[in-house]
Amino acid sequence: MALSDSTVDLGLLEEPPAEIRYRRVVHPLGALGELYRSRELVFTLAEREIRARYKQSSLGMSWTVLTPVLLMIVFTLFFRRVADVDTGGAPYAVFAYIGLLPWTFFSSSVSNGGQSLVTNASLLNKVYCPREVFPLSSIGVSAVDGVISTVILGVLFLIYGVMPEPETAWVPVLLAVQLAFTTGVTLIISSVLVYLRDLRQALPMVLQLGLFASPVAYGIEAIPESYRFVYAIANPLGPVIDGYRRTVLDGQAPQWEFLAPAAVSAFVVLVVGYLLFKRLETRFADVA
Amino acid sequence: MSPDGTITATRIWKRFRADRRHAMLRHQIETLRRRMKGKASPWRWALRDVDFCIEPGESVGLFGPNGSGKSTLLKILCRVMVPDAGTLEVKGRVGALIEVSSGIHPQLSGRENVFFYGSLLGLSRREVAQRFDAIVDFAEIENAIDRQVKFYSSGMRMRLGFAVAAFLDPDILLVDEVLAVGDTAFQQKCLDRMRAVLDEGATLVFVSHDLASVEASCTRGVWLQDGVLRQDGPIAESLGAYRRSIEEAAEVLPSVGGQVNVRKVSISGPGGARPSSQEALEISLILESQTARPGSLCLGISEGPATPIFVVRRELHLVEGEMEIRCAISVLPLPRGRFYLWLAIQDWGDPLPWHPAAHFDVDGPDLDIPPHAVARMSPVHVNASWELDSR
Repeated sequence: MALSDSTVDLGLLEEPPAEIRYRRVVHPLGALGELYRSRELVFTLAEREIRARYKQSSLGMSWTVLTPVLLMIVFTLFFRRVADVDTGGAPYAVFAYIGLLPWTFFSSSVSNGGQSLVTNASLLNKVYCPREVFPLSSIGVSAVDGVISTVILGVLFLIYGVMPEPETAWVPVLLAVQLAFTTGVTLIISSVLVYLRDLRQALPMVLQLGLFASPVAYGIEAIPESYRFVYAIANPLGPVIDGYRRTVLDGQAPQWEFLAPAAVSAFVVLVVGYLLFKRLETRFADVA
Repeated sequence: MSPDGTITATRIWKRFRADRRHAMLRHQIETLRRRMKGKASPWRWALRDVDFCIEPGESVGLFGPNGSGKSTLLKILCRVMVPDAGTLEVKGRVGALIEVSSGIHPQLSGRENVFFYGSLLGLSRREVAQRFDAIVDFAEIENAIDRQVKFYSSGMRMRLGFAVAAFLDPDILLVDEVLAVGDTAFQQKCLDRMRAVLDEGATLVFVSHDLASVEASCTRGVWLQDGVLRQDGPIAESLGAYRRSIEEAAEVLPSVGGQVNVRKVSISGPGGARPSSQEALEISLILESQTARPGSLCLGISEGPATPIFVVRRELHLVEGEMEIRCAISVLPLPRGRFYLWLAIQDWGDPLPWHPAAHFDVDGPDLDIPPHAVARMSPVHVNASWELDSR
């Protein structure tokens, strides 16, 4: 070929010399600064998603609460009959629903946020922005859903005549752990799915298993005391869900011996997830 | 610190996978296994050692044949892609005027989309609000702005996407083949907008196959070929070198599909003079065929390697041996400039693709247009009469 001849004439290398090869160095502070500057975009994307969703459905907001409410009804009608669940005196419906709230938030974040890069691939290819805005905005959408679903919890409280205990003040701490774990897992799943698209098929199944691996339908007492420390590290959502029940329903402080390892684990997942995401980010557009 | 609008690219390399692997687990496992055995994955270098520096306010045309790495380079400039080697420094806000209907959500109204898309491109809500009227005006969708975008025509959707991008007020404007979309009026509008941004002092990088509009809009030309920067200099010189390379490729008389050889091509105006505008043109060819077969001969005239300006076609029966074909065009609808003759033969079997056959210069007046306004030449109809002689 005439052209390859001429490139040889120009004395061009076949490969770039090693010293100019690109090495990805993640500067966490710089990345966070850039993310902060793009915060408006995160909200805008979430708003876009919510608006578009409600324009398409006539039931509007009620779809949001349907998932946790239906699961609660199923659990109340069937699960309680086969397994004798110790709810600590609280009505089972309230007990199950309070566990379903963090779980639904987690599962919809991971499922929508995890696929957000793949579904927005055409944008990734054309417009520059910090790529984490896509999974983060999905988490934002799930958070709005979560807030709406919490209103139903208030309704349940009225129906069953239950009052939240003053220990509800611990909720922000539990929320922080929940948010950290959810965000970390979502970032990991979303970045890995770009490279391993077929895992997308496995995601619903894994989430389904996760529902039964978390103390949503049952109490954390179902896990033997000796395993509970390891369990808290493996699934930080466990102690978080237990913490909500303990503080809001039972009026006790969270079980620190399990919540603390869960919190450490959740923040490790968040940091590792963010660094992994920033590391893999550079090639998203190549394979998207 | 270099001022806003500066692009400094130092030894940029970029590669892509050359195999048909997809992003799937089983393929990744296969790749890992190959790597363990010490076999490297096949890669194709899309950009090799590309080095340039663009000062604020410069207008740079980027051209080269398909697959030469222009779009990859543009993606690297707007930070969508990261080079595999080399460093890139881009100062200031980068705006890309590229086909971007993907950012438009069909369920939302035009108004909502303007805001969402604007913030996707890096504008704050306040900035979008300031530009809103200009954007709507540019997109020509005043009446439909509160309608859901799914009820827009595809042209309206495309204009909406472009309009938002056009009002970014960037320090660096990247334009990829604007002329490929929209009707002529809108293409012209995009070019005008591009020049307005340029007049405000922005840096322009313009990618197009339409060499005439590159020439009219840019002062500097960068010619990429096979991922290598072949020439970088004043637009006339770079474009001239690029055109000469197309001509050199054309001077090797083509053998169309290995079965038909072109023995001779000549192009002349009336009485053997140079071709000129609005005069007659005669193209004469001698073709040699290995086999006798029916087919149709197409001659196309283009400006650069882009879409032909006109095509004439003639059914013929090729005989075994040489055949002389003369095609007379009564009025040549071309302005002054250099044009290319392409040749294709289609028969009932496989069509033989376009081959460059020759180039020629046309005398005559320049296009009667104000400076810096280039209308894309669209296909035109010409009358041609044919004479065929088998020898």
